[in-house]
Amino acid sequence: MTAGVMEDRGSGFVRLLPGIALLAVIGYAGKLTEVAISTFGKTHHMALPNIEYVLWAIVYGLILSNLIGVPAVFRPGVDTYEFWLKLGIVFEGVRFLIGDVFRLGATTLLFTVFVLCFSIIFMTWLGRRFGLSDKLTSLLAIGSSICGVSAIIAAKGAIDADDEEVSYAIGAILALGAFSLIGFPFIGHALHMSDQAYGLWAGLAVDNTAEATAAGALYSDVAAKFAILAKTTRNATIGFVVLGYAIYWGRKMGTRQAQSMAQHASFLWAKFPKFVLGFLLLSLLATLHVFDAAQIKDLANLSRWAFLLTFAGVGLRTNIRELTRQGWKPLLVGAAGEFAIAAVTLGLILLVAPHLTQ
Amino acid sequence: MTTRKRLSADWWAVLVALLAAALVKSGLLPHISW
Repeated sequence: MTAGVMEDRGSGFVRLLPGIALLAVIGYAGKLTEVAISTFGKTHHMALPNIEYVLWAIVYGLILSNLIGVPAVFRPGVDTYEFWLKLGIVFEGVRFLIGDVFRLGATTLLFTVFVLCFSIIFMTWLGRRFGLSDKLTSLLAIGSSICGVSAIIAAKGAIDADDEEVSYAIGAILALGAFSLIGFPFIGHALHMSDQAYGLWAGLAVDNTAEATAAGALYSDVAAKFAILAKTTRNATIGFVVLGYAIYWGRKMGTRQAQSMAQHASFLWAKFPKFVLGFLLLSLLATLHVFDAAQIKDLANLSRWAFLLTFAGVGLRTNIRELTRQGWKPLLVGAAGEFAIAAVTLGLILLVAPHLTQ
Repeated sequence: MTTRKRLSADWWAVLVALLAAALVKSGLLPHISW
């Protein structure tokens, strides 16, 4: 995981450089492709579709990792994509006034609670119907209700799940995340959704933070902003849901570990995504006019550069062969659950969209 | 083996962002274009 990678010091940092350079090259190639297509269209007076660098970076990463493979020397650096994602999210804080964060955050939190309840109940029911193990069902429910891979990994220790169950759940979540990059913008455009409504939908329904951000950025810059806010709010609930499952499994198995965790409020803090605090702090500083307009633009551009590295990493770490190697049942349950969650969230957003203000 | 607690990627992200924000604010970091 990135946390482990970032923990290395000295020579450890040098080991990261080849992979980070690879992320930069792939991401920048994506940006150049977007610019080249746009320039070609303008000079030849052709109306070409504007395909964002996000998609190109992901596609180039996918091609490299699946056709050629990522050499071992690049892997530690490629694993830092999650760090760049978090860094990009913290920078995004300057684009929000703190009042808006809490106002939109409160709206998002209401949606989040609804989506959480629905996905946990629905995934649990579906998993039981298909005869999946209770733990795998719990992992799929946690992954689809909060934040995909991070939540599944956080829950692994709490509910004492097997590695195989964890890889099944992660595979299902990642496969569906990859689909959302194509499906979500298509549906959003077909329904003529506003940037804000689409962004909230992507942030609430797409499970993995990197894919949710990418799905938002594929629609528009403003949509990405709202997708990040909705997803960050959802991520902030990770501790509560994992703690809930830890208590449930602790009671079911009578394990001391889960019971002692339930007794400690520090568990919630340990699972809380700390980068959210950085996002709030930069938002507060921007609200207090610590930065002028040019500086805010500079910081927002730094966020874009950090995301450029992230999206290259999304493509590079997606191994299609590994995704298809998993059993069909977890994928089917995951897919059915995801579609239901996406549809219910979409209905909810469309219902309240007229009342949302930018 | 060291027992010293190290920073997670979350905290690194916060620290790097704050450092970059300070550099932008002070003018030490040149204009960032996209």
